[in-house]
Amino acid sequence: MEPIRSLEEPLEEPVRHPYTGRILLFRLGCFLLFLALAARLFWLQILEGDLYRVKADDNRFRQLAISAPRGVMYDRNGLLLIRNRPSYAVSVIPADLPSDPKPVIQRLSHLLEMSTEDIEHRLQPAPKGERTTDDFSPVSIKNDVQVKLALTIEERSLELPGVHIEVKSRREYPDGQITSHLLGYVSRVSKEQYDKLKDDRTHKYSANDDVGQTGLEATQESWLRGIPGQRQLVVNASGQEVAQLSQIDAEPGKNLRLTIDLALQREIISILDKHMKDYKSATAIAMDPRNGQVLAMVTLPTYDNNLFSQGISQEQFDQLVKDDARPLVNHAISDVYPPGSVFKVIVASGALQDGVVTRYTQAFCPGYIIVPHWLDPNIGTKLPCWAPHGTQDLISGLANSCDVYFYYLGGGPPRGEWEGLGVDRINKWARAFGLGQPTGIDLPAEASGNVPDDAWKRKTFKEPWYKGDTYNLSIGQGFVTVTPLQMLNVITVIANGGALYRPQLVLDVEDASGKVVRPFQPDVIRKVPVSPEYLGYVAQGMRAGMLVNTHTPEGTSYVGTSYTAEIPEVPMAGKTGTAEYGEPDEKGKMKTHGWFAAFAPYGNPEIAVLVFVQNGGATDASERVEDIMRYYFRLPQQPEDTRVKPNTAVH
Amino acid sequence: MERDQWKQFDFLLMAVVLVLVGWGLAMIYSATYRLSGTPAVDPRVYQQAVFLAVGLLAAAVVLFIDYNLFRDFAMPIYIVGVLSLAGVLVIGQITHGSQRWVDLGFFSIQPSEPAKLTVIIGLSRYLADHEDQIHEFKHILVTLLMAAIPAGLTLAQPDMTTAAVYIAIWLGMAVMAGMRFWHTMALTCFGIATGPLAWMFMHDYQRDRVRVFLGLEDDPTGKGYNAIQAVIGVGAGGWFGRGFTSGTQSQLHFLRVQYADYIFSVLAEELGFIGALALFFIFLFLCWRCLGVAGRCPQTFPRLVVTGVVVMFAFQVFVNIGMNIGLLPPAGVTLPFISYGGSSLITALAAVGLVQNVALRRREERR
Repeated sequence: MEPIRSLEEPLEEPVRHPYTGRILLFRLGCFLLFLALAARLFWLQILEGDLYRVKADDNRFRQLAISAPRGVMYDRNGLLLIRNRPSYAVSVIPADLPSDPKPVIQRLSHLLEMSTEDIEHRLQPAPKGERTTDDFSPVSIKNDVQVKLALTIEERSLELPGVHIEVKSRREYPDGQITSHLLGYVSRVSKEQYDKLKDDRTHKYSANDDVGQTGLEATQESWLRGIPGQRQLVVNASGQEVAQLSQIDAEPGKNLRLTIDLALQREIISILDKHMKDYKSATAIAMDPRNGQVLAMVTLPTYDNNLFSQGISQEQFDQLVKDDARPLVNHAISDVYPPGSVFKVIVASGALQDGVVTRYTQAFCPGYIIVPHWLDPNIGTKLPCWAPHGTQDLISGLANSCDVYFYYLGGGPPRGEWEGLGVDRINKWARAFGLGQPTGIDLPAEASGNVPDDAWKRKTFKEPWYKGDTYNLSIGQGFVTVTPLQMLNVITVIANGGALYRPQLVLDVEDASGKVVRPFQPDVIRKVPVSPEYLGYVAQGMRAGMLVNTHTPEGTSYVGTSYTAEIPEVPMAGKTGTAEYGEPDEKGKMKTHGWFAAFAPYGNPEIAVLVFVQNGGATDASERVEDIMRYYFRLPQQPEDTRVKPNTAVH
Repeated sequence: MERDQWKQFDFLLMAVVLVLVGWGLAMIYSATYRLSGTPAVDPRVYQQAVFLAVGLLAAAVVLFIDYNLFRDFAMPIYIVGVLSLAGVLVIGQITHGSQRWVDLGFFSIQPSEPAKLTVIIGLSRYLADHEDQIHEFKHILVTLLMAAIPAGLTLAQPDMTTAAVYIAIWLGMAVMAGMRFWHTMALTCFGIATGPLAWMFMHDYQRDRVRVFLGLEDDPTGKGYNAIQAVIGVGAGGWFGRGFTSGTQSQLHFLRVQYADYIFSVLAEELGFIGALALFFIFLFLCWRCLGVAGRCPQTFPRLVVTGVVVMFAFQVFVNIGMNIGLLPPAGVTLPFISYGGSSLITALAAVGLVQNVALRRREERR
């Protein structure tokens, strides 16, 4: 029962009921609740406010790269070697997928005719350490879809949140196999590559970008790749663009004009291709000896680089890798072989310059020399020449490719009447001519080759250098190995009178408007310290190699080892080589690779050509060079049946 | 009603409520401003305005009915409320995996909202009738049962948070009615001890929410997404906020259901600490003022009714804002007067009508 008295009391007076304290308690409770909320709010908004503001900005700001068109390449006459074709790629930004992505993936799987597992697999984030992308980077689901399909997906974008169509440019190589070893190809950047490239602030790589993997595409990457532009966007929760804050346009990559003459390149392919049944592989290089410009570089068998830029299947790739002739390897620069007799031009140049012999120094070739044993002069080892040549001098020795003459030059007469060059000086000259080191051409994976000496032999075979090794080295057999390009470079030194050029493939670099950004400049590695007069004698010997049944004014006679390749209209100078390899057969014959390197016109050379045929002979090689020269000098090709055939294999 | 009775009408309380609903309408306008992609007034704003009109009407009706009438019919009212909750389970619509709505053709209602008021009236009657024996534990148990029945029915929908509101209302009212201190303590301890049992009855989504909240699970794009986005929005608000209709979290839909349960996040993001603090003051003032009405009320039934309303408001505000600012796990509870939703708004206004009713008539003695 309420006391009646309370009714008469004025409202303002405190009423001492038992519940008065509880009302106070409830008021206090409410106050504390709101105090707690306010404290938390102060923490979030005031103390940590900046942090959350950044998080909110991360939600809504998005930077979208505008890909820059990659530069293309032309041949020296302006023929297009690479095309950029627009292609549509379907990609997904994982962060924009709804929390249950299954329906979207199912729709996508239906549209793309891919299994849902396949799509999910692609979307699966890599383990944390290996992650190259974040949830906001597009993940490629399918490349190169039909325009119609791309449009359908765009139209249905509301049903497909997170799915985007990216317009990409796809690399196409119209000449495929013909230029693949030069151009290389691009494909998606690998994780290892991306780790190196991601800090490149100029070129701004993203994990989805294509990057040059080999060939000029790889070495000229910094010219070819443009600078991606950037759009700063405000997006909503579905990743749709709400506003654009800023845009930096992409800067297209630079175009390259190559030193390559596409027509010549094509012709060389077809020349070699006719004879490929005879060889395991064939390599041909044409160069301008006046400046080191590579006019053509062919290696057969070859591969189609379009396969790689499109995404090669494992099957196709295995097939290329398993092929014994190694079509993926550019034999012109990445493989090394003994140079054989082509090496003699170095020995000749060195011997002249070091005064070991003169142009007139004679030696008699009975078809062999006998090297006395270093302990007992009565026992000797017989070193053969490939034929008995009689009395030889430098010119006929080169023309005949007489091994005995070069045994004398390199190792001295066996009985020691005079001193030869010796291993160390041969070494010095080989290196001066650029052997044992990469030429520095604008292609990746260039081999160095080997210039052997005593130290090398002790290290490799735990054996000292013997006199016999020097004799072997003098004729380019044994331990010395070279790349075809190095060997052609040697010949250009003879041709141009002493300049060792770095072979170049890029004539100039042009911007999108065709303005030359970087003009061609010949790059002389060194002047080889052999007097032009002596190099002239060597050239004379090489010229003589093209002639038959002739003799020098001094009376030494010769049958040029490559006389069958002579072109009457254009005087050529050339040197054959036969590289022996493997183990001798039962007749003591070894398997050979054939070399021929030549320049023309003799006296005023404008082109140097080298052909190397694996499992072929030097005459084969010389005839292919003739074919190439005939094409180059616009002369009719010699019909196969009218060609003069040499009676023996030459060296 | 006598003419001078209007002097007892709490105009300040009324004004505060009108400020709240007006503010709520404005926040819904802002939260839905870019919902369609382009800036526009969302239909929800007009709907809420209609709800507001209906709610004010309901408040007026409740105001004009003498609370003693509610007292006399308290048990039937309570039973109607319970039956409506049972009805939901039979004819209710299932949305988002739970059965909370009844379609009335032109309008869907959530009976668990008005049922809060019927439970308050029922409890008030029982507690008032047994005020003198309240120290007996059996009365405590009876009232707990009265709250547990609607709570259980709501839990079955399932809607754990609203069920918790019933229990909170009961606790507050029992304490106000004079429940013994050790009874309170004993039941609280019992509640805490059986808390883990609740885990067994939870649905997977509820367990997920708790797990994510406790930091046992890290899933920023999935289960914990909205809670994280709400906190980011609040934090990004800073002192003065990003401006009305300019909160990026809500305007760009990073925050979802931003017009309903997460509207506080929009408010705090756009109006900042100052705006949120202003809201807290208004709510605190509302509770304070209602408790004042209760404190000046000599009769037990109306005092307990007002107490129940205050507890309902305070609990909902705390739980809703708590989840918006990452203090509590995500819970399906609206912010009274502010959140979009007819049932919630109309119930809140009717509750204010009840308080005004008491303010007007508290001197009228009967018994």
